[in-house]
Amino acid sequence: MRAYLNTINNPWRVLDELMTEFPYDLLNSAWRTRSGHYPRVNVWESEQGLVVEAEVAGVDPEKLEVAVDANVLTLKGSRAQADGTKSEFQRSFNLPFELDNENVKAKAKNGMLTVSIPRKAAAEKRKILIENA
Amino acid sequence: MSLATKSENEVQKVNRLEVTPVTRVDEQEAAFTLTVELPGVSEKDVEISLENRTLSITAENTVLSFTDRERVLAEIPEVRYRAAFELPERVETAGIKAAHKNGLLILTLPKREEVKPRRISITAG
Repeated sequence: MRAYLNTINNPWRVLDELMTEFPYDLLNSAWRTRSGHYPRVNVWESEQGLVVEAEVAGVDPEKLEVAVDANVLTLKGSRAQADGTKSEFQRSFNLPFELDNENVKAKAKNGMLTVSIPRKAAAEKRKILIENA
Repeated sequence: MSLATKSENEVQKVNRLEVTPVTRVDEQEAAFTLTVELPGVSEKDVEISLENRTLSITAENTVLSFTDRERVLAEIPEVRYRAAFELPERVETAGIKAAHKNGLLILTLPKREEVKPRRISITAG
């Protein structure tokens, strides 16, 4: 059983997490996590909006919740533990722009949650003509 | 940092960063259950093999990639999950079963008949 125990308390995982999570948070100050560290995410941005991928192994897709409030994106859910209890998680992000919460698309497959959210249409810009005096 | 970036951008599938998946072992009366977290891994990208009493699991995850979008947060690298377990004598290797659900690989390792708990009834002398 020793081999099992060593894997559960795997010290390398801590290093892996440090290596993959630590620098990006510092580099992307506009994208700082507002709260929570789980789940890990990849976020892609374009003129149209965002695509977010989140690792949620062992989470029943029905227990996942995606919430968008102006420029705050929240991923929420609960996981069943080995002892039959549930563990809740929540992670929120402050985004540098507002999102359209009416058109969020989300799907979960193989323990990976994929969410695509369009940007909120900007208030119509008005062009002001400058008259030649 | 450099290693993580390298694994994502340059090395790709040929030589991915190898990580040990999060694993849990539970014991029931008739079997052990080995649960391995493999988020983003499709069934076809999991390989389970048994050599003597060593059970090996390798798997590769898939993450989205776009050329017309900018990646603003990158916490999930493309990796190769690798784990090996020395199975105790009490496991009946012929009866091992595997299931895959919500990114979890669940292996059932049945115990050999002679090590399962048995109730011994007392016969009236």
